[in-house]
Amino acid sequence: MTDLLTAAAVTKSYGGITALSRADFSARAGEVHALLGENGAGKSTFIQILAGAVRPDGGQVHLAGSLYRPRNPQAAQDAGISPVFQELSLIPDLTVEQNIWFRREPLSVARTVRARALREATEALFARHQFPTIRPDQELRRLTLADRQLVEIAKALSSDPKVLILDEATSALGPRETDWLLGLSQGLARAGTLVIYISHRLGEVRQIADRITVFRNGATVAAYDTKAVDDETIIADMLGRRMDRLYPERKPTATERVAVRLRGFGVGHRLDGIDLDLREGEVLGVAGMQGHGQRELFQALFGIGGARGSVEIWGKTKTIRGPRQALTGRDGLALVPEDRRNHGLLLSRSVRENLTLSVISRFTRFGITDPKREGKLVDEMISALKIKAGTPEQLAGTLSGGNQQKVIFGKMLLTEARILLLYDPTRGIDVGTKGEIFQLMRDLAAKGYAILFYSSDLAELVHVADRVAVLRNGRLAAILEGDDNSERQILRAAMIETRAA
Amino acid sequence: MNFRRHRAILLAYLGMIVLLLLTSVVAPGFLSATHLRSTAVLAAFIGIVALGQTFVIIGGGIDLSVPWVLNCAAVLMTLLAGSQNAPLVWIMPLLLAAGALVGMVNGLGVALFGVPPIIMTLAVNVILQGGILVYTGGAPTSTAPQAIQFLAVGRILGFPVILILWIALAVIATVLLSKTAFGRHLYAVGTSATVAEFSGVPTLRTTVLAYTLSGFTAALAGMLLTGYTAQAYLGMGDPYLFTSIAAVAIGGASILGGSGHYIGTIAGALVLTILTGLLPALNLSSGALLIVYGVVILITVSLASEAISSLFAFLPRFGRRQSPSA
Repeated sequence: MTDLLTAAAVTKSYGGITALSRADFSARAGEVHALLGENGAGKSTFIQILAGAVRPDGGQVHLAGSLYRPRNPQAAQDAGISPVFQELSLIPDLTVEQNIWFRREPLSVARTVRARALREATEALFARHQFPTIRPDQELRRLTLADRQLVEIAKALSSDPKVLILDEATSALGPRETDWLLGLSQGLARAGTLVIYISHRLGEVRQIADRITVFRNGATVAAYDTKAVDDETIIADMLGRRMDRLYPERKPTATERVAVRLRGFGVGHRLDGIDLDLREGEVLGVAGMQGHGQRELFQALFGIGGARGSVEIWGKTKTIRGPRQALTGRDGLALVPEDRRNHGLLLSRSVRENLTLSVISRFTRFGITDPKREGKLVDEMISALKIKAGTPEQLAGTLSGGNQQKVIFGKMLLTEARILLLYDPTRGIDVGTKGEIFQLMRDLAAKGYAILFYSSDLAELVHVADRVAVLRNGRLAAILEGDDNSERQILRAAMIETRAA
Repeated sequence: MNFRRHRAILLAYLGMIVLLLLTSVVAPGFLSATHLRSTAVLAAFIGIVALGQTFVIIGGGIDLSVPWVLNCAAVLMTLLAGSQNAPLVWIMPLLLAAGALVGMVNGLGVALFGVPPIIMTLAVNVILQGGILVYTGGAPTSTAPQAIQFLAVGRILGFPVILILWIALAVIATVLLSKTAFGRHLYAVGTSATVAEFSGVPTLRTTVLAYTLSGFTAALAGMLLTGYTAQAYLGMGDPYLFTSIAAVAIGGASILGGSGHYIGTIAGALVLTILTGLLPALNLSSGALLIVYGVVILITVSLASEAISSLFAFLPRFGRRQSPSA
C-alpha cells in the first residue's frame, strides 16, 4: 500500500531560529498516525506547512503521489487537508453554524445565506459524527473552551477531508468528549481517512494510533508501529534521554491543619452543597465531566463569580469578592487559571513583568520600584522553575506553552500564597515539563502548601493527588483515596448516578 | 535600554530629526534658536494635553473630552479671575481639581459602569461644551491675568517658563510610568484587563487614575494656553483632540493600549508642531494645508504602528493573525 502523505527533508527557519531541520514523515490512508514530540520540537510548524499556513524553506511533501505545495490554507483545504488547531480559529461573534460553514455558506439566488439549509447541513454533520450536544444557533462567545474545540472539529470535518489533523484536540475536552473524539478518529480511519493525531497524552495515543512518528529539535528521530514499542522508548526518543518517571513519588505530607474548609458552598445553579476540607500539605484532586462545576468551584474560591455557603481559610471565615481579596500574601489563595492566554499571561509583555505583576509591592519603596530587588525575585523564580527564556525581557508570548505555564506558576508562587488552585495546569504541555510540574506540586505540598488540583487527564489525578473529589451535576459525588483513587472509580463516580462509598 | 523594545520611540525621534532637516531646507532660518524655541513652546501645549492622553491610551482607553475640559478651564479662569493675578491662587488649584474630577467621572463611567470610552468621553465633551455655552451665553471673556501669561510666554534666564514646566511634568510622567506600581498596573490593564484582574491588579483604581490625570492635564493646558493667547475663546480646545491622540500614536503607543511611553509622546508633539510650521512654508492655501496635514499624520501614525507590529512579524503565532482553516 502506498502512502497517502509523505514528507521528505522538510526544513523551515524563522530568522535565525530553525524550527524544522529535517522533518520526514509518511502516513497511509486509513490510519491514525500520532505525531509526538516536546513543545518546540517542530510539530506545530510541520502541521502548519501541511495546512498551507506556512511555506517550507526546503524539502518536498507529496499527497497521493503528486507534489503538494499549497499556496494558502484554502488551497490545503481544497486538496483535502483539514487541520484542527490548538489556537482556536473561530470568530466569537458568529454562531456555531456560521462558524462551521464560514465562507462556504449555502447561498440563495440573491446571494444571501439560506438559513434553513445552513441549519440542516449543521444538524446532518452533527448527527453523522454523533457530536455531543451543541446548539447550532449559539453565539460562539457563549461556549466553553471545550465546546469551542468541538465546533473547531466540526468545522474541519465539514469539508470531508482526506487528511484530518488534530493538534492537541483533547486537551480542552472532558473525559466524555475525549472518548467520543478517540472513537471518531478511529471511525474516520476505518472509513479511509488519514488522521494525524498530536497529543501529549501517551495513553490516548496508545489507545488509537496505528503508527507513531517522533520529532525532536526539528527533526524526525523515530517512527514505529504503536504495538511494537513501549512507553519508555517513546518518551526517551522525545526527550533524547531517558526520563526516570513522569509522576513523582507520593509521600503523604498532609497535616491535620485545614487550609480551606467549605461548608454548603455553591455557585448559582452550577455548584451546590459542597462540603470539602483541603488540608495543609495535601494535594486534593478535583475530577468531573466537563461542565459539572469544577470551573465554578475554582473561580468562586478565587473571587470570580458570586458564591454562597461558608469558606474558612486557615481557620478564619473569609468572603472573597475578587482576586485582590484572594491574593493576600501568605494567608491568601493563588490561581493558575484554565485559560493561559486570556487569563494567565500578558503575552506582549516580558517574562519579568509577568512574573512580578501580582507582587509589585514586594520591591517598591516609597512608591518607587527597585529594579535590583525585582531582578532578584525574577532570577530566583526563573532558576527555581527552570524557565527557558533567553533573558527575563523576552516577551512571554514567544515562550513555548510549557514555559508560559511555568511563568504563571512563578507569578503565583511569588505571591507567597500557600493555598494554590491549579486548574488543569498541564494542559497542552510537553511531557518533560509535566514531570517537572508534578514534582513541584509534591515539593510544595511537602513544604506545607495546600493544593487544589483539577486535571482533565484522569491519570494525573490518580498519580499525583492524595485524594480526589469527584463532582457530578455540581455536587460532590465522592471523595476517593487510597486504592479507590483510580481512573475507573473516578469515572464511575463522575458518570453514574449512585453515591460511591 | 533595549533597542528592540524602544524601537517605536527611537523611530519617532528619528522622524523628528529628519523632519527638522527637511524643514530647514524648505525654509531656511527654521533651525535658528528663536524659531526652535517657539516651536518647542507650541509643542508644550500639545505635550501637556497629550500627557494625560498617553496614560489613558496606555491603559486601553481614549479621552475625547480633552477639548472642552481644556476650554472650560480656560474660560472659567478668565471669568473668575477678571484679569486679576491674586485670585489665581485659589482659581488654578480649583480648576485643576475640577478637571481631575471630570476625568474621574470619565474613568468611573468606563471602569465601573462599563460605558465604552469613546461614548463616555465624547458625551462628557458635549455636555461640557453645552454647559459652558449656557454659562457664558457665548460672550467673550476678559483678558488673561499677567501671572498666567508669564507661565505661558515668560522666560527665566532666557529659558521659556513653560518648557521648564513641561520638562518637570515629563519627569513626573516618566517616573509614574516606569518606576511605580501604578505604571506597571496601567500597562497590564491596557494589555489585558482580564489578565490584570486575575493577577490582583486594582484595575478600577488604575483606570480611574489615568482618566483623572487626563482631566487634570487638559485643564492645566487650558489655563496655560489662555496665557499664551492672552484670551480665552470658545473652540480653543478643538485642535487638541486630534493632536493629543496623534502625538501619542506617533510616539509609538498602540492605540489599543498596553504599549507606549510619554518619552515617545514628547517626540510626537514636536513632530506635529514642526509639521504645522513646515507646511505654511510650502505656500499652500489653508484648505490644501489641512489636507496635507491630515495625510502626513495618517502616514506618520501608520508608520509608527507598523514599527510595533514588525516586532512580532517574525513570530508565526503572534504575527498577523492567520486563518489556519478558513
